[in-house]
Order: sequence, then structure tokens, then C-alpha cells
Amino acid sequence: MLSKISEVSSFFPKNRLTNEDLAALFEDWSADKIFKKTGIRERAIAGPEETAGDLAASAGEKLFAEHSIEPQSVDFLIFCTQSPDYFLPTTACLIHRRLGLRASSGAIDVNQGCSGFVYSLSLAKGLIASGSAKRVLILTADTYSKYIHPRDKSVRTLFGDAGAAVLVDAVSADSASRVGSFVFGTDGAGACNLIVPTGGARTARSAASGVEVHDESGNIRSGDNLYMNGSEIMSFTLGTVPSAIRELEAQTGYSLQACDYVVMHQANAFMLEALRKKLSIPPEKFPMRLEFCGNTVSSTIPLVLEGLMREHAGSGKLAVLVGFGVGYSWAACHVWL
Amino acid sequence: MSQFFDGLAEILEISPADVTAELDLTQQAWDSLAVVSAIALIDECFGITVDGAALAKCATVQQVQDLVDAKLGK
Repeated sequence: MLSKISEVSSFFPKNRLTNEDLAALFEDWSADKIFKKTGIRERAIAGPEETAGDLAASAGEKLFAEHSIEPQSVDFLIFCTQSPDYFLPTTACLIHRRLGLRASSGAIDVNQGCSGFVYSLSLAKGLIASGSAKRVLILTADTYSKYIHPRDKSVRTLFGDAGAAVLVDAVSADSASRVGSFVFGTDGAGACNLIVPTGGARTARSAASGVEVHDESGNIRSGDNLYMNGSEIMSFTLGTVPSAIRELEAQTGYSLQACDYVVMHQANAFMLEALRKKLSIPPEKFPMRLEFCGNTVSSTIPLVLEGLMREHAGSGKLAVLVGFGVGYSWAACHVWL
Repeated sequence: MSQFFDGLAEILEISPADVTAELDLTQQAWDSLAVVSAIALIDECFGITVDGAALAKCATVQQVQDLVDAKLGK
């Protein structure tokens, strides 16, 4: 069986972090400058008691309500996050219960970040193609804000929290809407450039790891916080994303120019603009959704898809999805809406 | 070259007329975000990727140019 994206919904926590809030903290940056550089005005931030599991479950509930979907009709739940509620058990099992899914349905977590939605979509497609499921619910949610030091503007200006829900259904071979081919890539040599160094089994949190350090740009963080080497990530992206797109073109025979939309991971405006120019993509084919949510990691592509689906569901318009970042990990695919 | 200097002016938020080889970057907003933007600019203008750490250490526009030239094998 082929598969298609049927419905998309999103959920944002209530707390907002505005550029005015950030400008008050970082004296050398005005609210206008932050917007001009990042393309972001506001980020939604999870509350102290609010987890990625909560955001994902709320996104799932919204999808069921907005699109009149029966929870018991879901055969498999894939939850993509890098901020699970527990080391164990699997957060997807807890969400499965909250959403009232069938006991005879599967539920797994996928630990992947900016590329995670595209990876999850490939797994959903595989489950459907193998006959193991007819309806797969993909949930994405991250709360990077909990990893970020409040005085680290290199990441605090960019990342926001959100959850998204994407329903993937089996369809017959004559469907105009379908999920197409994928290409993948991985380079663990870049792991150190976007990382929370402590808290896992490799390096435990300790008094020493929690010591705050000032970097040369005036940012403060400890080993327990998210660290991003912005210039390395930019170099990686400018090299890898165009190659992944060329690989997908070669594999499928569809040129980038023949596609109706290019949906990139919404990292930040300057990176997206650099990629758009490098790949000669006209702005009208390059939808963005950053301004009022920031970089929401695994949810950025579903958030853009939510807008596209509202206008074009069932149209058969061709979108290229490209996820790239933490890992390093990347993936690209075709989706006919 | 003017595309590169114009781009640098935009990144540093100064007039393009003020961007010269001798411009002292240590007196400008040559911060981590500027360096990230400059990596994209150099990729756009010259089709090459320069090392971010080396770029951040450049004290003048000439040193940035030298870094680009070295990478281009000039």
C-alpha cells in the first residue's frame, strides 16, 4: 500500500518569550535586530511542569477533535522527541494511554531532532507499505527551552517549544496524495556542534558540569545546557542540504524546479535565506513559519505542512521536505499533498 | 568583490562605503551571529566554506579576504 499525509494539527504552550523580553536581557541586541537576524518575533515556551509528552498529547487531541478522527482507528503511534518525559518508560506508551489508543496498537519513541519528522514519516510509510499498519499517528514535540541557559542568546533567540500531530493513512495506488521517495544521511562527527553534553550515560550531571562558563560572545552556559556551534552548523547545512536535494532529484527524476513547494526545517531566517538563494528557489515556493514560534526542532516541518494542507490537501501538489541538523542527521523526501 | 563588501556592510550594519580592506573588525559587531552570516555570504560569493573559528579570529576585512584567497588556492 502507498501512504499519504491526511491531517496535521499543532499545539503551542501558553507562555511567550518575545524579542522585547530578550532585548531587556541582552543589552547589545534590540528587539528589531533580533527579528531582522532570526526572522522570529516570539517563541512559545513550555511551563515548568509542561513536558514534550504533554505538548505531543495535546497536539494529538487537537488532531482528533479538529478532523473528527476516532482515536481507536490509529494502528501505530510514533513519537519523535529529544526531550522525553523519562529515561524509561517510552514516552509514546504514556501518550498512547492519554489519547485512548487501542491496546492492539504499537507505540515507539524516535530520538531524532531537526531531521526527525522526515525520519518518522519514512517509518510510517514503511509500516504501511509492509502491511503492518493502515493508519499511523506521528507526534513531534520538543522542549529545548528546558536545556537552554537563560543568558545564552545564541540559542535562546532561536528555539521555541511546540508539538505537532500528523496522521498518515494507507491509500490506493491511484491516489493523487502520497508520500514519495526518501534520501537519508548521517555524520556523527558533527555531534559535538549541537549537544547537551551531560545528563545521559556518557557524562553524568555533577557539581562540576553545572559550573557556568562565559564564552567569547558574552553568552553563559554550563555543561548541562544546550550548546550550538552556529558557524559549524551553517557550514554543514550549506554543504549537506543542496547535496541531499540533488540526490533526491537523481533518485526520482523530479527536478527541484518541478516541485510546487520546498519545505525546509525552519532553523532560522538567515540560514533559510542562504539556502533559498543557493538553491535558486523563488520565495513563493518556500513557505516559512518561524515568526511567532521560532525553531521548534522536530515540529518545524509539520507546522509548515499544516498551512500547506489547509490550502492544498488532496491537490496532488508536490512538496519536497528537508530536515537537517543535530546529529548530524538529515533526510529529504517527496510528498504529494 | 562589491557584492562581498556590500554583504559585509549589511552584516555589520554599516555603510558599504565604510567597508575597506583595512576596516578593524574588532571595533565592529563581529560577533558569533555576524560570523555565521559571513560564512553564508562567502559561500554565496565565492562558492566555498571557510572555517568558522578562523573567520571569528579575523581582525580586519583583509584577513577575511586572505582566508578566502587561501581556500580558493590563490
